Amino acid sequence: MYAFEYVRAKSVDEALKALAGADDGVLLAGGHTLIPTLKQRLANPSHVIDIGGLKELKGISVKGGTVSVGAGTPHGQVANSAEVKKAIPALADLAGHIGDPQVRNRGTIGGSIANNDPAADYPAAVVGLGATVHTNKREIAGDDFFTGMFETALGEGEIVTKVTFPQPKKAAYMKFPNPASRYAIVGVMVADTADGVRVAVTGAGPGVFRVPEMEAALAKNWSPDAVAGIAVSADDLNADIHASAEYRAHLITVMAKRAVAKAG
Amino acid sequence: MSLQTETETKRSFNQIGTRPVRPDGIDKVTGRARFGADMEMPGMLHGLVLRSPHPHAKVKSIDISRAAKLAGVKAIVTRDDFKMPKDKDLVDICANIMARDKVLYDGHAVAAVAATTKAIAREALKRIKVEYEILPHVTDVDEAMKPGAPILHKGMRTGGMDTKPRKDSNVVKRYKFGHGDVEKGFKQADIVIERSFKTAATHQGYIEPHACLASIGPDGQGDLWVCTQGHYMVRNVCAGLLGLDVSQLRVTASEIGGGFGGKTTVFIEPLALALSRKANRPVKMVMSRDEVFRATGPTSSTSMDVKIGATKDGRITAAHAELRFQGGAFAGSPVSMGAMTAFACYDLKNVQSIGYDVVTNRPKQAAYRAPGAPMAAFAVESVIDELASKLGMDGLEFRILNAAGEGTKSSYGPTFGPIGLKTTLEKAKSHAHNKAKLGKNQGRGIACGFWFNFAGNTCVSLNLQLDGTIALSVGTPDIGGSRASMSLMAAEELGVPYDKVRTIVADTASLGYNDVTDGSRTTFAAGLATIEAARDAIGKMCGRAAKVWGIPADAVKWENGYAKPAGPNAGAFKPMSMAEIAAIAHKTGGPIAGHYEINADGAGVSFATHIVDSEVDPETGRVTILRYTVLQDAGKAIHPDYVEGQYQGGAVQGIGWAINEEYIYGEDGRLQNAGFLDYRIPVASDLPMIDTVILEIPNPGHPYGVRGVGETSIVPPLAAIANSVSNAAGVRLTELPMSPPKVLKAIGEHNRA
Repeated sequence: MYAFEYVRAKSVDEALKALAGADDGVLLAGGHTLIPTLKQRLANPSHVIDIGGLKELKGISVKGGTVSVGAGTPHGQVANSAEVKKAIPALADLAGHIGDPQVRNRGTIGGSIANNDPAADYPAAVVGLGATVHTNKREIAGDDFFTGMFETALGEGEIVTKVTFPQPKKAAYMKFPNPASRYAIVGVMVADTADGVRVAVTGAGPGVFRVPEMEAALAKNWSPDAVAGIAVSADDLNADIHASAEYRAHLITVMAKRAVAKAG
Repeated sequence: MSLQTETETKRSFNQIGTRPVRPDGIDKVTGRARFGADMEMPGMLHGLVLRSPHPHAKVKSIDISRAAKLAGVKAIVTRDDFKMPKDKDLVDICANIMARDKVLYDGHAVAAVAATTKAIAREALKRIKVEYEILPHVTDVDEAMKPGAPILHKGMRTGGMDTKPRKDSNVVKRYKFGHGDVEKGFKQADIVIERSFKTAATHQGYIEPHACLASIGPDGQGDLWVCTQGHYMVRNVCAGLLGLDVSQLRVTASEIGGGFGGKTTVFIEPLALALSRKANRPVKMVMSRDEVFRATGPTSSTSMDVKIGATKDGRITAAHAELRFQGGAFAGSPVSMGAMTAFACYDLKNVQSIGYDVVTNRPKQAAYRAPGAPMAAFAVESVIDELASKLGMDGLEFRILNAAGEGTKSSYGPTFGPIGLKTTLEKAKSHAHNKAKLGKNQGRGIACGFWFNFAGNTCVSLNLQLDGTIALSVGTPDIGGSRASMSLMAAEELGVPYDKVRTIVADTASLGYNDVTDGSRTTFAAGLATIEAARDAIGKMCGRAAKVWGIPADAVKWENGYAKPAGPNAGAFKPMSMAEIAAIAHKTGGPIAGHYEINADGAGVSFATHIVDSEVDPETGRVTILRYTVLQDAGKAIHPDYVEGQYQGGAVQGIGWAINEEYIYGEDGRLQNAGFLDYRIPVASDLPMIDTVILEIPNPGHPYGVRGVGETSIVPPLAAIANSVSNAAGVRLTELPMSPPKVLKAIGEHNRA
């Protein structure tokens, strides 16, 4: 780890000021990616601004068919929230299968989506459920938020404050986890929403993506059989020591089919 | 006094077989236990190793001048600091701990630095300039055996061949075991099955990385604190590599966070000592997990062919195996033990097993729990399973029909004494697990396993303290609960409560030479020596009582912790307790201690049968282990908790090996998954409860009937799980690990065929 200045922000405003005043500042939420990156000297920030303790970023509320999750809310709280379980059980289920209990007690939704790891679970929820990402400056549609591997639409001095999820008619998430990290080798969120059917895939490609063929098929006929025959091309998918691109492509169809069955 | 005639297996025990709290328990759960990295000394330096990024390269030059100039750097060692030892056994170790003219694997050490802080040491490593000439490499065993493969060691010619080879080879040696006429046997068979198998290299996965603290003064007197399975071995090897008198180096074994065979050699210890000697300061070295993966000793990866023939009524007529094990960059893969154990479970007239020990550009393998046996059992027990199924016989029945028993001439030579294999098979047959119903996509697998068990050099001291309590010193590091077992055996023999005995692992200056804790030998051999040391002390205590009573020593007997007159003719004296004898020891001849030194024999072979249920997801290839039962002969379970723990631990490591774990090398010859995020060892949430059945068929070679239990438990799992998965998937899996993509591919190919 290289040396850096540590700032413990007392509010979002204070964090923004510290960020603006730093040569090369970074925000620390749950720290699951940042801390290992710092330890391996892959990052060399001038300031680490800790927003992990900010109460204004924490909390869950459900109003008028919308689930609102504060950016600093840990996965475990989303997983165990009776309100979330009732409104969008698929969201609670997804959060409950991220990493292990330690990860779920520290990792936050804001940190996860701002980092946009291609194998993270939350991007599938944000895109698959048609969520909206709220920042200190604006609202960004889930579809527009994730722009590339570890890249998002967030600009300079922009902090995610909360994510709002419209309640779908039905939805479910299925993932094939890496046996060690529990990151998604492939994770698929399917949802029948007011704005149509959504199928969002994480883990398989350089970032979360939708599968229009599956969405169209499900819009006509919401059943596992409707997607069972739809193959996704392996061309742009990830390949690593755990799974080839072809195996990932195969898993997308299997997981989508199972997610539809799970959603009922 | 022959140990063979001393068996007291029918005796009843007061404490043996009970489950008292382990003596190291509180220390370990509170964090007070001191492991390898927990020791510090004033003025201590931190040592780090520079490692090769190349799998195979000539080391043309090493320039340390820029590193040496860095403030805080106190010593740097390279190959120039280690003279090639004359002792043949040390030559490869010397070349492994520090590369000579070539680096032979990704992670091979090329230099080590000691500095006042770790940060300075890290910086110094960056300033060392190594000039490499990259050579072609080979990491696969079959590739390494091919003509034209890159040769690791110039001048290496295959030993054990019928005709003397004329060319250099990566094949170190051919081993051959067996008896009878295999060709004739196959002609007598009604059915013959021949299959090829592969297994990946796996790591022991001990949680504690290697760590040590070395201090050696200008007078040549040295101390080493280290986490190891054998500190006497560490002392002898390090003294040899550094040119020290053995008695000048005192080695103390720390608590150990797992070994499983992987801590039966040295890696950083001689480097720490060399740095300390050069800097004249203590030097601490702690490996990172990355270093543990890249530069310690995983087990071999293997390639194997097995052929077995049987008659229609289920009698095996002939069995043949060819095993090819790569053991990393130096000679010594466990292929000979694989070849010896392969068919040990069966009573065979015609059997042959051949093993090829092969070197490749990977870290030198180290022992891993029953080295060589799990892979061989995987291949053999898979073919046995397939044969039974082709013959329409129950797998257990087929094994019982052909099982080795007392008087069987084993495939590796010796004739078995009383053994428990058939008992484990029969108990498996009647076990509820064997009768439980299976669901869709589920399969059951069974397999047997054998391990020799070792005995070896052992030395124990038992000191009677003035208050009548006992300090027991053993020289075998406790990797599986042996201190509790030693305390129990001493307490049993002396007739005192368990908590009156404290067992410690003494340093190398305090006892004579002890072999490493390996080969499942410690509870057997150190236990035997403990019992004999207690008997030695009892003899002396009886002598003291005799002296007080004024009667001959042989007129005194020892019973339940008391010296008593042996009979009415001896006279009427009030029995003397151990505490009473201890309290007056200084008036009756001085301190009282019992000793025993032996190169033990008669360890007693051990067998196990495992039953596994698994479920295969036909759409993803993912395997879930649903139920697992281990049935194993312990001879006599001294502390059943620990015996069960060994049974469960072997099964769990086997599960990892069978379905997840794998050293993955890239085209560049570098290890791709040197960390627990990419190399998955099973954790509690991956596993069902592992049920255990302890069987006790006494070993005549031990006073209480003990057989080693630590290793046999990892021999059957690979095969049992492969059989289970093959039955569930409907296709024979012949390659480990059975990772989801591999299983899915096998199912797909089977469906298309």
